[in-house]
Amino acid sequence: MKASKSIGAGLLSVLLVSSVVGCGNNEKNTASSTPSSSAPSSSASSGGEASKTPEKTDTKKEKVKITYSMWGSAEEGNVTQAVADKFNASQDRIEVEVVAIPWESYMTKLNTQATGGQLPDTGMLKEDGVIQWSSEGMLNDVSAMYEGSDSKPLDSLAYKYQGKTLAYAAANEVLLLYYNKDMFDKAGVAYPPSALDKAWTWDEFVATAKKLTVDKKGKHPGEDGFDKDSIVQYGASVENLPWQLETWALSNGGGFYSADGTELRIGEDASVEAIQKVADLYLKDHVAPLSVGQTDDGIQRTIIAGTVAMATNGAWNVGTSLNTAKEEGLNYGVAVLPYMKDKVTLNTGGANVVFSQTKHPAEAMEWLKWYNSEENNWGLISSGIWMPTLEKWYTDESLTRKWVENPNFPPYDEYKSAVVDYARSSAARPAAWFYTNHTTDFNTLLGSVLGDVWTGKTTAKDAIAKNLDALKAAHSGNN
Amino acid sequence: METVSKSSRRRARIYSAEARVAYICLIPAFLGLIFLTYVPLLSVLGISLTSWTGLAKPEFIGFDNYVKLFTTDPYIKDSIIATIYFALLSVAGSMIYSLFIAMLLNRKIPARGFFRAVFYVPYVLPAAAIYVGWSWLYEANFGFFNYLLSEIGLSKVLFIADSSYVVPSLSLISVWLAGNLIVIFLAGLQNVPSVYHEAAEMDGANGWQRFLHITLPCMSPIIFYNLLMSLIANLQVVTPALALTNGGPGNSSRFMTYLMYDQAFVNYKLGYACATTFIIFAILAAFTAVLFKTSNRWIFNEGGDDK
Repeated sequence: MKASKSIGAGLLSVLLVSSVVGCGNNEKNTASSTPSSSAPSSSASSGGEASKTPEKTDTKKEKVKITYSMWGSAEEGNVTQAVADKFNASQDRIEVEVVAIPWESYMTKLNTQATGGQLPDTGMLKEDGVIQWSSEGMLNDVSAMYEGSDSKPLDSLAYKYQGKTLAYAAANEVLLLYYNKDMFDKAGVAYPPSALDKAWTWDEFVATAKKLTVDKKGKHPGEDGFDKDSIVQYGASVENLPWQLETWALSNGGGFYSADGTELRIGEDASVEAIQKVADLYLKDHVAPLSVGQTDDGIQRTIIAGTVAMATNGAWNVGTSLNTAKEEGLNYGVAVLPYMKDKVTLNTGGANVVFSQTKHPAEAMEWLKWYNSEENNWGLISSGIWMPTLEKWYTDESLTRKWVENPNFPPYDEYKSAVVDYARSSAARPAAWFYTNHTTDFNTLLGSVLGDVWTGKTTAKDAIAKNLDALKAAHSGNN
Repeated sequence: METVSKSSRRRARIYSAEARVAYICLIPAFLGLIFLTYVPLLSVLGISLTSWTGLAKPEFIGFDNYVKLFTTDPYIKDSIIATIYFALLSVAGSMIYSLFIAMLLNRKIPARGFFRAVFYVPYVLPAAAIYVGWSWLYEANFGFFNYLLSEIGLSKVLFIADSSYVVPSLSLISVWLAGNLIVIFLAGLQNVPSVYHEAAEMDGANGWQRFLHITLPCMSPIIFYNLLMSLIANLQVVTPALALTNGGPGNSSRFMTYLMYDQAFVNYKLGYACATTFIIFAILAAFTAVLFKTSNRWIFNEGGDDK
């Protein structure tokens, strides 16, 4: 009795005190954040002042120092610093220092730095953070960056919001269909097409997947005696991460958002039907393994694990996992995605931005422009993780060959057609975060709404209709 | 009269000197408590009244975050239900399991030390490794459990990919991890006086009667301690959601601490996340209070009732 009384009293007093002090404490936080946010600027400007005193002139001191943050290991940071050193040596006004932060904690770290007013001058930003950061006034306008330049980034790689160009992607990526050639050969089935004009319809895709799905007794879906509970090899897997699902909604004539990103279209029949078709690959067609979006390792789980013959995912997988698997004997190919009504793939790529806290936006932009010329990202591009952003790499065949003809890639003709040409074709559309705010909220909610759709407990139609208001609220940022 | 007041005055002086020393000795502990516990707690409450995102300046919005949480938030209701469901299953499961195992290990069996280690090992293994291992057991398409099921001709169970099975499946892992409870129960069992058992045996009580009327009452303070610790730990569950399920399918494993993490460090709604934190705090406090309040009725204190 005593214990519970004292706990109750303790709780009560904590609540009372906190409700009084909490507000005051919070005000103090705001107040104290102001001087600290001016701290980097004063240290930066002191460098400028130092350069004004003539007796201390020294080429190094005259340089404007800027920091560039990137995600990656310390080793990757050293590689980029070596590139930056070339830039530093090439001119005598700007000195770039590279800070590498591990991918998992990258955005958390930047948020913390932003709060403390300690952001780097420029750096990479995750796709879904660009418009949000911009709308909170954290980014500089970079629309002037490529004025008068001979080769611009692909237009689908500019982050645009309310008519302003906020940032350019640091890399290009598209969604593809990967397939295991050995499984196709064994089943005697023709490979998926790498040319856009020969792309499979959804029905052709499902029919082929059925031929590649086998149970323990060697039966295919639709045959007598086929047992869906003893499948040993699946024909296809379509990645169902929410942002990738938009591909199918668009392909079916629907979409998640209107073209300007202001209206929500996910409730339309065409969008809902597309999502249901993806779920039915497991539920009705029995050609796909179950995936409920709990992990983000689609290619490892399917193509590399050797359990699935075809799988959709992003082009980065060539460099992040497939090249290692290839060395260990995996014989894979790349193809264009199948389509429902329109041929669609999504372009994406993390952004390079200039933060608004910087005192040196012009210098930061100059560095970014220099750094974004692909010669400087060669390590990431030649390994297959990044695709170049500048148009010339897609249009000039000698440059394309320089990029693709190396052992990290599938055969040149196949990759050129299924990836390089595909990325520039009319099928390639920018992922939603290039023009829509609050995509993180929206995708989290959509993932949770669709959880029971993949297992067939509910239909896409019911799940989305039931949660349409919440999805609208998430899209408008009122969630 | 005079002497009495003198001595009491002297006693008071001694007391106050002792008290002074005591207070000085307590300062480090209080500093820790204030700056590591109360100030952060108050800051959380303060931030929960703002729309802070970590980027722009925080704006005071009163109780809007709380209003939103209780009216339009698409996650919190499912989240509270999932957490309480998980905690009840895990607490009940791990209490019964660990008491049972502790009683087995308390017997004079061969290789007792070895078995004691075996049941404690899960508790000291690194969490990430454990969950990767279990993810392969539970995997819906080719996982080990489903392989076994298909070998004996049963249809597949989706385990953590199915919204109705995910919480029981995760609870099973948490029961399996309850090695620390076993150790505490074992220590308690060794303190149950054997004379009681011997006397009862002579009176013709069978094993079950002895368990019910001797072991359980003697163990009740230990059971209370384990219950409390296990309840608090399981209400704060987050690792399985982070490591295995991402809170899914749907919201079925979006535990409150995971929800808070997601709001704060994925969606960067820090003010909102702080409001969620306070709700978690309130729920934990409520459960703890109920447990304390009811404890007198069933805890058996040796040496009588010493309220």
